[in-house]
Amino acid sequence: MAAGVRRRGKVGYLLMVPATLWLLVFFVVPFYSLVATSLFDPSGSDFRGYDMTYHWQNYADVLQAYWRPFLRSIWYAALATLICLVLGYVLAYAIAFKAGRWKNLLLVLVIAPFFTSFLVRTLSWQLILSDHGWVVRSLQFVHLLGPEDRLLATPAAIVAGLAYNFLPFMVLPLFASIDKIDPRLVEASSDLYANPFVGFFKVTWPLSLPGVVSGTLLTFIPAAGDYINAEFLGSTNQRVIGNVIQGQFVDANNAPVAASLSVLLMLIIVAMVLVYVRRAGTEELL
Amino acid sequence: MADLSAAPQPEPPARRSTLSRRGLLKGGGALAVGGLSVAALRLPFFEVAGAQQNPATCKATDLSASAKQMIISNWTGYIDPRRNPKGTFAEFQEKTGIQVTYNDDVNDNAEFYAKVKNQLGTCEPIDRDLIVMTDWMAQRMIDLGWIQPLSKAAVPNLHANLIDSLRDKPWDPDLEYHAPWQSGLTGIAYNAEYVKEVGSFADLITRSDLKGKISLLTEMRDTMGFFLLDVGADPDDFTEAQWYDALDLLKKTVADGQLLKFAGNNYLQQLTNGNVVACEAWSGDVIQAQYDNPKIKFVIPEEGPSLWSDNMLVPNLATHESNAEKWIDYYYEPEVAARLAAWVNYICPVQGAQEAMEKIDPSLVDNQLIFPDPASLKDTWDFMPLDDRQTQQYEGDWTDVTVG
Amino acid sequence: MSLLAENGPQNGPDNAAGTDAGGAASADGLRLAGLTKRYPNGFTAVQGLDLEVPRGSFIALLGPSGCGKTTTLRMVAGLERPTAGTITLAGSDITHAKPHQRPVNTVFQNYALFPHLDIFENVAFGLRRRKVKDVEAQVRDMLDLVELDTQARKRPAQLSGGQQQRVALARALINQPEVLLLDEPLGALDLKLRRSMQLEIKRIQMEVGLTFMHVTHDQEEAMTMADTVAVMNAGVIEQMGAPSELYENPRSTFVANFLGQSNLIEGTVLSRAADVVTVDMHGVQVSVPTARVHTDGDRGWVGIRPEKVLIGGEGEALDAPGNTIPGGVVTDVSFVGVSTLYQVRMPWGQELAVFSQNTGRTRMFRTGERVELSWRPEYAFLLDIHQSAAAGVEQGDDD
Ligand SMILES: Nc1ncnc2c1ncn2[C@@H]1O[C@H](COP(=O)(O)OP(=O)(O)OP(=O)(O)O)[C@@H](O)[C@H]1O
Ligand SMILES: [Mg+2]
Repeated sequence: MAAGVRRRGKVGYLLMVPATLWLLVFFVVPFYSLVATSLFDPSGSDFRGYDMTYHWQNYADVLQAYWRPFLRSIWYAALATLICLVLGYVLAYAIAFKAGRWKNLLLVLVIAPFFTSFLVRTLSWQLILSDHGWVVRSLQFVHLLGPEDRLLATPAAIVAGLAYNFLPFMVLPLFASIDKIDPRLVEASSDLYANPFVGFFKVTWPLSLPGVVSGTLLTFIPAAGDYINAEFLGSTNQRVIGNVIQGQFVDANNAPVAASLSVLLMLIIVAMVLVYVRRAGTEELL
Repeated sequence: MADLSAAPQPEPPARRSTLSRRGLLKGGGALAVGGLSVAALRLPFFEVAGAQQNPATCKATDLSASAKQMIISNWTGYIDPRRNPKGTFAEFQEKTGIQVTYNDDVNDNAEFYAKVKNQLGTCEPIDRDLIVMTDWMAQRMIDLGWIQPLSKAAVPNLHANLIDSLRDKPWDPDLEYHAPWQSGLTGIAYNAEYVKEVGSFADLITRSDLKGKISLLTEMRDTMGFFLLDVGADPDDFTEAQWYDALDLLKKTVADGQLLKFAGNNYLQQLTNGNVVACEAWSGDVIQAQYDNPKIKFVIPEEGPSLWSDNMLVPNLATHESNAEKWIDYYYEPEVAARLAAWVNYICPVQGAQEAMEKIDPSLVDNQLIFPDPASLKDTWDFMPLDDRQTQQYEGDWTDVTVG
Repeated sequence: MSLLAENGPQNGPDNAAGTDAGGAASADGLRLAGLTKRYPNGFTAVQGLDLEVPRGSFIALLGPSGCGKTTTLRMVAGLERPTAGTITLAGSDITHAKPHQRPVNTVFQNYALFPHLDIFENVAFGLRRRKVKDVEAQVRDMLDLVELDTQARKRPAQLSGGQQQRVALARALINQPEVLLLDEPLGALDLKLRRSMQLEIKRIQMEVGLTFMHVTHDQEEAMTMADTVAVMNAGVIEQMGAPSELYENPRSTFVANFLGQSNLIEGTVLSRAADVVTVDMHGVQVSVPTARVHTDGDRGWVGIRPEKVLIGGEGEALDAPGNTIPGGVVTDVSFVGVSTLYQVRMPWGQELAVFSQNTGRTRMFRTGERVELSWRPEYAFLLDIHQSAAAGVEQGDDD
């Protein structure tokens, strides 16, 4: 008995080896190097090299210099996540409860955009929202947009692009959650005097919360770090933190700044996720 | 283990051997860990050494004599068709017997720099014999000591035929390290379908009908040169105060929402589809775009043209330098240069190519954007060379605005 | 020979008990009239169903699987839209009312407890929706009633099947609906738990005095719990009445076979008197009280329950007022303990079932022995010859 337990324990550890190695090689080491880089002396350069001076001031400096793009990133991502949640919920709900035999086809259609590259999809949005494209022209024609107004280069375009690109990340977990809900529970709620609206918020919604939480996380996290949408759909006044990091790494060759921005972005997202998961009350989710 | 019954016996042999084996294992583990941290010794302190190298010492033996081959990295679409048996490329291989591996893998100076930084910065080979970089990047690499000097005797055509306006670059006045491949003008492109001519850079950044619909280049020296001119400074020689004046003007332009974006490479696509109606642009790109869309026009701004070039450089540890020099010399034959220019449409850096063009394509002989009138290039400006600290400071200022 | 009864005892009033409870009751009871449900796929699950349930009564809907019981309940609850017909509750037409607007609650076949809410909140759900005051106290009382007061803060998944069932009951009951619908709530429970839950539900119903409509296909459950049993078959109600009456005087071969077991013997009507009908049954004359005759035809099925059939040796005097039917041969004997089940082949080739109480007063018969059968005329009934003699056999036997 004891030997059996011990052997099982050993096998367990063995099974953990690949995952541990993977984490070590692809997460711990790069992250360590990133944090280390973020503490380099900022006066370094490629010519002279970088000295490790534990320059924590880097963080304060970049936060002060780039709090705007930070806020923009979070704000755009939050808006896009909200839009995704509303659209995605309706979509997932319809697919789960109303689609019948079209269910699988609709699911495939949700994933279909993934078969083309992210870049191409975003560039297509640039074309769609373009100043002389039919969308802008139609909106101008019905006077929803003034003759000088545009869609491109506005926060709305970026948020729309983000929402479009990350919608499947929202729909799939939502669908998985909603599809599991027993429709008889909804019937039970209406039997117990809940009108459809109340029934939704008291039964369907809480039961779909696991999907809502994972969907919003899966949408928000990549959206907050995304810069492709801001790059192609925004203007210089809508740059997000991803643009800054990319510019600092590639164009300015300023590794310490770029690294501290990256670490900060990561910390901010992790903190927000923790608060969110706490607030969403995972223990309420069964 | 079944050793419980044997416990009263003092140290049964089996047990001892297990122990010692385990001890050995432990020792081995410690050794292995030690080895690992030796390999990664730089991790805990993690300093990054300077990337400065000495080309005199960081240099490989030239194998050109025995290995008739070379590897080159160039920008995309920057040579006449290589498959064409009558093209310059095939002709070079045929004449010299040198097998050329040609990569069109340069899309962006900064990006290429990031790609080779780790190797060249630590004196390791990048497996290329020739790379093509724009002035400012060529200057940085030369300053970093990453570039091998060219043997003057091996490239007589270069020294004889380079056009005057590209000579005497402050960062390599004697053509010791670089040989221009093609050059061009930085100016303004606009889409005549949507706007009237944009004649000056000052117009570009202030005209209200262009608001939100212009793009500027991400190359600091190109763009800031014009801003310096617009604040009355000389890009060839400006003070720090003037730099900050120019930077303030840039900031104001951005804050006013005049820009759609700072664009690196594909800025002309936006100009074609009308999201951008005017932009800072490179002449060669514009000429190529004009074939598809004649409404796109190129203007040399009133502030004065800026002439730049993309330059062939031999990186450290290249093993076929002599072959690379043969390549350079070949492309400085006026007739070859003319054939190349007829295809790529950039300003041809080779004297005598204009005459040679008569036989190749007479319609291009008088094209100002391939063979500009020497008079029009008289007051071209250059961006003054920056030292390391200035580079870092100004690049930092610049990125703060362009990315923030 | 004849089995003639002078004056057979009649079991209760005429079997239309449910219907004649009408009048006064219909004003505040539940009335289904011509209720029909045709599903989109064209299948008619319920066909012109008429039903009157007096307020405060306990009615059981009994029938084989797929006969439309759940569909009927769902229409009453408002979860299914009737194709035709009306539903009237306490005098008002609720045919098209939304489920949440009906004073009707359901204990679902699978309980359908809310997994994300604890027991207390499950039970409080209906009260909170109606913004009732004093939720706390009411829920406590209700949990006391179903003996779950200690489980209030657990989640449904942490309860046993029987406890969950009681939660489902409490959740519906607490709203004091006009009608409580129970859809086979005991189906998943083991026999012992099921019996005790049956008693509990019955006790609660008597305590709160609400109208209960209980669906089951367990005839024993229906008969022990309900005041009125309605037997459903293929979307219609075959017969409805008090359990004993349904059993003693079935009106169709389906009911006769589905509820318990019956011997059905073909016969020809000889004469119809005021209170008795005489039937020739393969040469034997038997009489059936008029109240137990359910056919106008010349021929019919003479029905008799196996436990009502008396068995005796050839020539033995049977303790029965009627004459005997001779010529039977025992083909099978199964000893059940309290009784013995005989299969007896009659001269016309049919096998009849006979339950004989093992009182010790009669001896046991062996296979192959010749016997005579007899029954009291007042226990026989006469059914329509056009109905299948096998209707309801398989389904009824299982439970
Ligand atoms: N949504 C539906 N669409 C089509 N036919 C249905 C639907 N729901 C039920 N039916 C059919 O209607 C008939 C009656 O179904 P119902 O659920 O009322 O039976 P039931 O009497 O409750 O049976 P059980 O005792 O097995 O629960 C069945 O034959 C069933 O197949
Ligand atoms: Mg059912």
